[in-house]
Amino acid sequence: MNEVILTMEGIDKTFPGVHALDHVSLEVRKGEVHALMGENGAGKSTLMKVLTGIYTKDSGTILYEGREVCYSSPREAQAAGIVIVHQELNMMGHLTVAQNIFVGREFKKGLLIDDARMNEEARKLFQQLNIDIDPRETMSRLTVGKQQMCEIAKAISHEAKVIVFDEPSAALTDSEIDQLFRIIRDLRTKQYGIVYISHRMDEIKKITDRVTVMRDGQTVGTLVTADSSKDDIIHMMVGRVIFEEPKTHSRVPDGAMVVLKVEHLNAGRMVQDVSFELRKGEILGFSGLMGAGRTETARALFGADPKESGDIYINGKKVNIHSPQDAVRAGIGYLSEDRKRYGVVLKKNITENSTLACLQRYIKHGNIIDGVAEREVTQKFVDALKTKTPGIDQMVMNLSGGNQQKVVVAKWLISNCEILIFDEPTRGIDVGAKQEIYELMNRLAQEGKSVLMISSEMPEILRMSDRIIVMCEGKKTAEFDVSEATQEKIMNAATREIAV
Amino acid sequence: MKQALLKFKNLRFVKTIGFNRIVLILIIFLMYGLFTILTPILHNGTNFVNYNRVMSALNYAYFIGFLGLGVTFVIATGGIDFSIGAVMFCSALISGYCLTKFNMPLWLCLFVSIAVGALFGSVGGYFVAYRHLPSFITSMALMQVAKGIGSIFTKTQSVTWPSNSPATSWYRDMVKWNNLPTGFIILCAVAAVCAIVLYKTTAGRYMLCLGSNKEAVRLSGVDTRKWEMLAYILSGTLAGVAAIFYVGAYTTVQPGLGDTFNNEAIAACVMGGTSMVGGSASILGTVIGAIIVALMQEGILAMGFTISYQYVLTGLIVLGAVTADIMSRRRRN
Repeated sequence: MNEVILTMEGIDKTFPGVHALDHVSLEVRKGEVHALMGENGAGKSTLMKVLTGIYTKDSGTILYEGREVCYSSPREAQAAGIVIVHQELNMMGHLTVAQNIFVGREFKKGLLIDDARMNEEARKLFQQLNIDIDPRETMSRLTVGKQQMCEIAKAISHEAKVIVFDEPSAALTDSEIDQLFRIIRDLRTKQYGIVYISHRMDEIKKITDRVTVMRDGQTVGTLVTADSSKDDIIHMMVGRVIFEEPKTHSRVPDGAMVVLKVEHLNAGRMVQDVSFELRKGEILGFSGLMGAGRTETARALFGADPKESGDIYINGKKVNIHSPQDAVRAGIGYLSEDRKRYGVVLKKNITENSTLACLQRYIKHGNIIDGVAEREVTQKFVDALKTKTPGIDQMVMNLSGGNQQKVVVAKWLISNCEILIFDEPTRGIDVGAKQEIYELMNRLAQEGKSVLMISSEMPEILRMSDRIIVMCEGKKTAEFDVSEATQEKIMNAATREIAV
Repeated sequence: MKQALLKFKNLRFVKTIGFNRIVLILIIFLMYGLFTILTPILHNGTNFVNYNRVMSALNYAYFIGFLGLGVTFVIATGGIDFSIGAVMFCSALISGYCLTKFNMPLWLCLFVSIAVGALFGSVGGYFVAYRHLPSFITSMALMQVAKGIGSIFTKTQSVTWPSNSPATSWYRDMVKWNNLPTGFIILCAVAAVCAIVLYKTTAGRYMLCLGSNKEAVRLSGVDTRKWEMLAYILSGTLAGVAAIFYVGAYTTVQPGLGDTFNNEAIAACVMGGTSMVGGSASILGTVIGAIIVALMQEGILAMGFTISYQYVLTGLIVLGAVTADIMSRRRRN
């Protein structure tokens, strides 16, 4: 066994309302590829941000090359030799490869930038990594895979000793992944310590030596990859105590009408041939890992993003949805996962937000807004949804996450939507308010509304859904009735190996 | 003292008008007082206080006011329109040429003026809303186009509108009638209509909302492009109206000019409390802002300074007002 290069022990980090890291430990050796796994929100990214100084830890120790360290910025960590290759590449597309690699520490000749020397140094780096990229090429003309190679080269050029890969394969093609693995194996033999964050079970088996699993901000344990099966790892990822009882059976009556039918929906790489049905009074859960294409499916269905092909039927009648306007007219409402950006107008009040989708119904004398009617209906829904606010003139900015969500729900209810798409309905909402949102969704379903719920939280999916669709890499991989669904089954479908 | 101020701020009428609009009205009186004192000292014994000066300041306030009202809609949507000054001159040149060279009836020429403005507004609005061009660069380009077209149309001649025959100069009565400021009444009436459109109609509501969060409004099923374009059309149309009041006051228009007036109109808006980041706008504030700009230029000239001082002050006012707006927003967040 090689010597340990990095030890994180008892790392604790609390954000207001969330215990993000609860005494987490991680140990990385030289010449090892160490996988860090866990569901969305398990704390992997937070842990890496603590390591590289983006967040400061509340307690715990980080030992790097035998010395205790504490970085206050990514720059410091980089200088010491700890770098992250991010999932989203931080590259400037209009600069050349070499300029990108040496950005911030350009070689100079007097006052001028010495491009020739940077190209030469970059060429040496690529040689070292056995990569064939021209340092003079413009970054934006490279494929995503090649851009990532550049990111790796940049990491090496910082004389890194520990390299963290944050879901590096998410945007790569199969052959690019092969090349990435070749480079990673190469780095392993050169005695780098490597942390590899990924959701893809097959990759973990292929490339990593050990795997540490995190769940709900805690370390569940560390396994030697070769000695453990995919099921072992999945079990560690989901094996939490479930305090939220799953639904035992679907509450949708037999023979309920199909209100929404989607056939062969295609929209880019993230939505490939997705078909499903939604019945009246049903809560249809969409499960999957981050980047599985669920939000993209919803947005394409809602007309927020263009779709390539696919038919949508509402109450059996084919509808053409090319824009959110068409969708709203057809009775579909979309509650985005990012409320502040896509859901509410923060600097406007509750009334203005509530009637935004159907203001045409609250006018008189031509085009003048009927303030009385508008306020009346807003007040009615504030009462009905129990939105906590001093008054309906309150700016939405001043409400809590749960109450903002209720304003968005009110907006769609006021415009008489029969189909509601909830995208991560409880993200950023505290525990007490979560319960309220759950009750609200159940009540809506009982009243005959149909709900499509996208959620990354397994207990939420199992507790709320009547039926569950699982997506992985833009494809629908499974469909369960809630009575037959289990966390393991869902996780299996969500991590199904698509690349063969 | 602090408590008294707080109490005053909470009065119903203060809340409706807005506290900073009241401050602006006070500033008008302060400026007037200051000019009254300084003018005789700086400009050997000239008297600032006289009726003609008030009328002269108002003449300036009208067209700046109309330009400002128009651009208030654009700024409310989070955009900017730098073309309005040049568009105003283009409108005045084309319609004036129609009147003097083609002998078209006056009412038709006034209509042409407004139509030219509306056309420029539509073109700008189309590129910003439907082609997603930045409003800054779109309006800069249209400013050049408007300047050029105005010159080409009149063969680089200046145009002088008729000023004394009763049949062709009744348009001047809209500005001043029997030495009474009729223009002020019309400005207030148009401002009232603008206020209704902005605060009481769906169009205005959508414009203000899309100025704060366009994507959320689009995802609510609103055709944001249509309403964004409408703001530019209103801006252009009101520039056409401003043209009428410009010639009504000064009769002569020269080609290749006009673009300095955008800045004064925008200054009037931001001073009045319209936020440059979009989402909140004040029609009343813009009117008061226009009066301040006009009074300032009257005072500068009366005190014997050149108009160049006006440019410097306008620039500084924009910097100051926008800084204040950004700072107050940051504090509230």
